[in-house]
Amino acid sequence: MSQEPGLNAGPNLAPAERLERTVLAAMSRPSLRYLGALGLCGLLVLMLFAIWGVIIWQGMGIAGINHPVSWGVFITNFVFWVGIAHSGTLISAVLYLFRARFRTSFNRAAEAMTLIALSVAGLFPLIHLGRVWIFYYLLPYPSERLIWPNFRSPLVWDVFAVTTYMLVSAAFFYIGLLPDLAILRRRLQGWRSRVYGWLSLGWSGSLDEWRHYNRVYLFLAAFATPLVASVHSIVSWDFAVSIVPGWHTTIFAPYFVAGAILSGSAMVFTLTIPMRRILGLEAYIQVDHFEALAKILLFTSLIVSYSYICETALAWYHGNLFEMEQFRYRSFGDYWFLYWIMILCNSLLPLTLWRKSWRRNLRWLFILSLLVNVGMWLERFVIIVNSLAREYSPYAWGTYQVSLAELGITLGSFGLFFAMFLLFCKLLPVLSMTEIKERL
Amino acid sequence: MEPMQVFHDREEFLARLRELRDAGHGWRDLDIHMPFHVHEVDEIFALPPGGVRFFALGGGVLGFAGGLAFVCYTVLSWPLITGGKPIVSVPPFLLIAYLLTILCGSLCAFGGFLLLARRPGFGEASDVDAHGDCFMVRVREEKKR
Repeated sequence: MSQEPGLNAGPNLAPAERLERTVLAAMSRPSLRYLGALGLCGLLVLMLFAIWGVIIWQGMGIAGINHPVSWGVFITNFVFWVGIAHSGTLISAVLYLFRARFRTSFNRAAEAMTLIALSVAGLFPLIHLGRVWIFYYLLPYPSERLIWPNFRSPLVWDVFAVTTYMLVSAAFFYIGLLPDLAILRRRLQGWRSRVYGWLSLGWSGSLDEWRHYNRVYLFLAAFATPLVASVHSIVSWDFAVSIVPGWHTTIFAPYFVAGAILSGSAMVFTLTIPMRRILGLEAYIQVDHFEALAKILLFTSLIVSYSYICETALAWYHGNLFEMEQFRYRSFGDYWFLYWIMILCNSLLPLTLWRKSWRRNLRWLFILSLLVNVGMWLERFVIIVNSLAREYSPYAWGTYQVSLAELGITLGSFGLFFAMFLLFCKLLPVLSMTEIKERL
Repeated sequence: MEPMQVFHDREEFLARLRELRDAGHGWRDLDIHMPFHVHEVDEIFALPPGGVRFFALGGGVLGFAGGLAFVCYTVLSWPLITGGKPIVSVPPFLLIAYLLTILCGSLCAFGGFLLLARRPGFGEASDVDAHGDCFMVRVREEKKR
């Protein structure tokens, strides 16, 4: 990215000054490459909304979902994007409570990733509804017959869980930004200074502000921490409380949470490795920090692999015919190819991270992160589609083919995610300057 | 108003604070600004923990009680048996109460912070616009008298 004159961090500057200049340089005038990337993502976003418009106009027949596979790519995308959000909270809140020092390198980008991924995830239940104009049926209100939603339904739990997650994450993100916004107020001029000053709520860094700030940050971290475990558990119960073979299992909650952290950690690599290089943040996001995050990725990959083994073993051990057939079908049925790619990406390739040299190889970490995300997307697809394609009665079996409309919307969601992240990089400080100054 | 004493070194700033404390000044007598939170300052002045915890606790309790009361009200206002489950189904209703505990606790803590830290506050003295650059301290005018 191009840097404004005078913003380049020189070797003789004080560490705090160098940090501020580096972060400001990242927010300087966009380069052609940046604009090109944003334009490409913008086209994908346009495609998403255009296809969604056609679906609204012509109906859900355009999508590939039909009986018996009535949950397809849209729900796969919903679960995938909610999962991506999880690692942001893990890095920002959980690692804060454990006082892990490397979190300051990633926490701002990871928190932004959480909010962006949740925004993208939120689109999919709406797209899947078909008749999006009656989205308010999802909300807890008494209908015209004064009947409330059924609070025993996991779909209603989802509304509460995702909304709570979004609001708590937004509050946590904004609180963390306040002192940095005040720095931008000082460093920038004109209308930008006024806007950031307004956004910083007039933050002055007084002792009284810091005293209350520290407490609220701690409380928000403490409130957000159980959400890391509970939100994806609740998403997993969308499946687990049904009696569909392959879904009706008690290990789904920890299995989904581990998978969410695996895919979220991978996405942090996908975003921060290029960001570090393009924005010149090597001094602040160090290879040691990536190595620490790689250990989290390896650990969660092992939990996910254990879950794959466990659910297959459980199906075999309790001898239920439908359950056994489901797991045979997953491995050797119509979608066998996707299943084995999933195993390769989520269970086998992360094993390379046992070696220190691979954990410190940023090229490999970047490639691995892309492959893990492919694997995690496929995991959701495999769970959802296989189980619905082969339930109890052979007369109700069927297969599912992803339509071009679904594929376009999926690509569009990636475009939306990356476009919003690119905008974040230009509009807000990508590093938590205040927290990094503490350890300089 | 007396100008701020400015420090670029953290240790010098802390030494000055210790001097002021030994001279009999409490933290409320001083106008202190820091680019980041320095934990030693809490120890020097033995700072009380502040009131945000009461907002967090109050919000959490309110969210839990309100959430539970809300779902119970909805099922009792028109008791329909669905799926053979009890009208008041405790496990799923606790889930809603749990989520509202977190939501209300977080939002009340956030609101409490804004209230106690008196944010938003615009149009204050311009010398504090230098936030993030240095440590600053001065004795408040009224405390000098």
